Amino acid sequence: MNEIFPSPAAGLFGRKLKRARGHRVPVTVVTGFLGAGKTTLLKRFLGTPEGAGTAVVINEFGAAGIDDALIRTSAEETVLLGDGCLCCITRSDLQLALRRLVMERERGEIPAFRRIVIETSGLADPSPILQTFATDRALGETFHVELVVTVADGATGLDTLAWSAEARKQAILADRLVVTKTDIAGQAVCDALCAQLRGLNSRAEILFAVNGELDPTRLTQGSPDTRNSFVAEAEHSDGIGSFVLLEQAPMSWTVFTRTMETLLALRGPDLLRVKGFLNVEGCHGPVVVQFVQHLAHPPVELDAWPDSDRQSRVVFITRNVSENQVRDLFAAVRALA
Amino acid sequence: MSAASNPLGNSGEPATWNFNLLAQNDLGGFGGMGEGMAVQIAKDGRRILWLAHESAPKNFTGVDVSDPRQPKVVVQTELPQKHMRSNSLEMTGDILAVAYQTQKVGQQPAGLELFDVSVPEKPRSISFLDCSGANSRGVHQLWFCDGEYVHMASGAPDFKPSNKIDDQFYRCIDVRNPSKPVEVGRWWMPGTSATDNVAPPPRHPLDKGYRAHNTNVYPDRPDRLYLCYIDGGMFVMDIKDKANPKMISHWTNSPPYTGFMHTAVPLFDRNLMLVTDESTENAGKDWPKLIWLLDIRDETHPVSISTCPMPPLDAFANRGGRFGAHNIHENTPVPTSWKSDQIVIGTFFNGGLRAYDISNAYQPKEIAAFVPGAPKGSPAGAVQINDVFVDEREIVYTVDRFSGGLYTLEMDF
Repeated sequence: MNEIFPSPAAGLFGRKLKRARGHRVPVTVVTGFLGAGKTTLLKRFLGTPEGAGTAVVINEFGAAGIDDALIRTSAEETVLLGDGCLCCITRSDLQLALRRLVMERERGEIPAFRRIVIETSGLADPSPILQTFATDRALGETFHVELVVTVADGATGLDTLAWSAEARKQAILADRLVVTKTDIAGQAVCDALCAQLRGLNSRAEILFAVNGELDPTRLTQGSPDTRNSFVAEAEHSDGIGSFVLLEQAPMSWTVFTRTMETLLALRGPDLLRVKGFLNVEGCHGPVVVQFVQHLAHPPVELDAWPDSDRQSRVVFITRNVSENQVRDLFAAVRALA
Repeated sequence: MSAASNPLGNSGEPATWNFNLLAQNDLGGFGGMGEGMAVQIAKDGRRILWLAHESAPKNFTGVDVSDPRQPKVVVQTELPQKHMRSNSLEMTGDILAVAYQTQKVGQQPAGLELFDVSVPEKPRSISFLDCSGANSRGVHQLWFCDGEYVHMASGAPDFKPSNKIDDQFYRCIDVRNPSKPVEVGRWWMPGTSATDNVAPPPRHPLDKGYRAHNTNVYPDRPDRLYLCYIDGGMFVMDIKDKANPKMISHWTNSPPYTGFMHTAVPLFDRNLMLVTDESTENAGKDWPKLIWLLDIRDETHPVSISTCPMPPLDAFANRGGRFGAHNIHENTPVPTSWKSDQIVIGTFFNGGLRAYDISNAYQPKEIAAFVPGAPKGSPAGAVQINDVFVDEREIVYTVDRFSGGLYTLEMDF
């Protein structure tokens, strides 16, 4: 349809954007185990100027009503999802909750909001939440996941990471890690927890919060450039590992998509998160790509590179898929293209 | 969910979405601004924004916007008569062209004045073209982007309209010698001159007049004039022979809409055209006033294909003043203007400033909005965002019609 009125200023992926989210409403996903301090953190955030205009979507598991009562006093709007694990049982409820927010706003029943914070159940795997925005096109058009923040209890986090695969996954998938209750835990315990978190996720910045006190921008601003975060190849328990694909030369978009299609078809469930900047042949700015398991978010071309570095850099967080396997697949597809 | 993408909601309350407000300046208490905005890079490197006022006593204001977070008024000039207004201005280089209109026909001075603003603090008059007359209110709007010709909506001493409110028509003024402006061409909608052999056009219910409004000409097609004619719709004109403009095509939405077509901006590379209405009635009585997208692959046959979505009438109609489309950023063909054929930024009076992504011309999508609170001293009781200009740095300048003056913003989308 658009070919009737093409714009020479548009790129391969449409209008070039200043940032990946374009005009969409930013979403922060706050995850972390029960009692880790998510609600305290959020309550503090909502009292700051940066927190104004935030709609909070809470998934509760077990502690019915308590979290909701706290948040409702501060936030302009709260949607309570009810009992059940957000990730595996009530994902459709998340979609309904977000749609309800939009519809109620359209009807003028709730105030305007400019940001969504989804506070997950302690037991939630964040992946399906991220998937929701890729599968539901209407939601994906309206909302953009800006960052995943995982809260770890300074006092009990080490134990939790040891026994819970979900907790490890929350840490691995985070863009930012917040360690709480450092005043209770003591330095040695905190250091050990940080070492463990760093081992699981070397990309994410680790921050500390006592009584929920944290620079509020840490809950709103994602890392502007994923290239700035160092990722060491790491092999974790549960077969989960991470690595970075780096390419100096501009990439063929056909080669990239064919490779990713193959990877998604064969190993989709094991691609926990893939995210990065690509230097695509024929594109002026970097192309932001993102995959969650077998789902691809629509690519976005930014209008400019942030600096003179034109290197493609894609972070892979996978389960039992190695860097070499991915590299070999890229090489094979490139050879055949 | 298309309308749902606007997180401002539809309450009509002041809010900002995907714009960053950098500064507001009430221009020394004379913040009632018209629809003329132009940016000059002065010889000393300062960036001066020239602004037209909605009404007397001020003529025009120069604002140093080198730092858009701290706009500073450098000069503000007076009109000689209270019955005058200088609603429109444009500039090329250091020459500023200003339109003078009077409240009633026959009043003076009415016409076009050229100023040398090479020293922004000291505008110096170069020449004045008298357009007053027994049936003329002078010049309402003008376009001056090539340094050679002023295209304007004006009355003339020798023009008698068939209806007294149809007094302003298209006039082309040669200003290559800026000290001696001289008319080289004119055109009016057939039937609007008392001397025409064709019947006058039928009056619309709100009867805003058959007059020229915006008269845009772009270097991409210097032989084309994109002319809006208020209740007469939009005309694509051949001005290759400036002395003898010829109509190529005509498009109108009224009736059944309520007239007052305002601005036509062609997007040449995409074969599209933007056409705006102007809301001129309070409380949404002339709703809907829209930004229209036209397919102009065949310039002899423009086809309307979509409009930019508006917030609901209920939320804004009774906030105070007007609600509906008016000016848009016109991709003004000067080096200091931003150009885009994928984003439209328009003003909507109490609906504020709104940006639309028109990548898909069939489905314009709102992507940003700025609806400030009622400015201090505004008789409307709500903001009345009147005009917008975006410079090549992508700084957005917008103005309030009554008292808010200038707002500077960054696009954040």
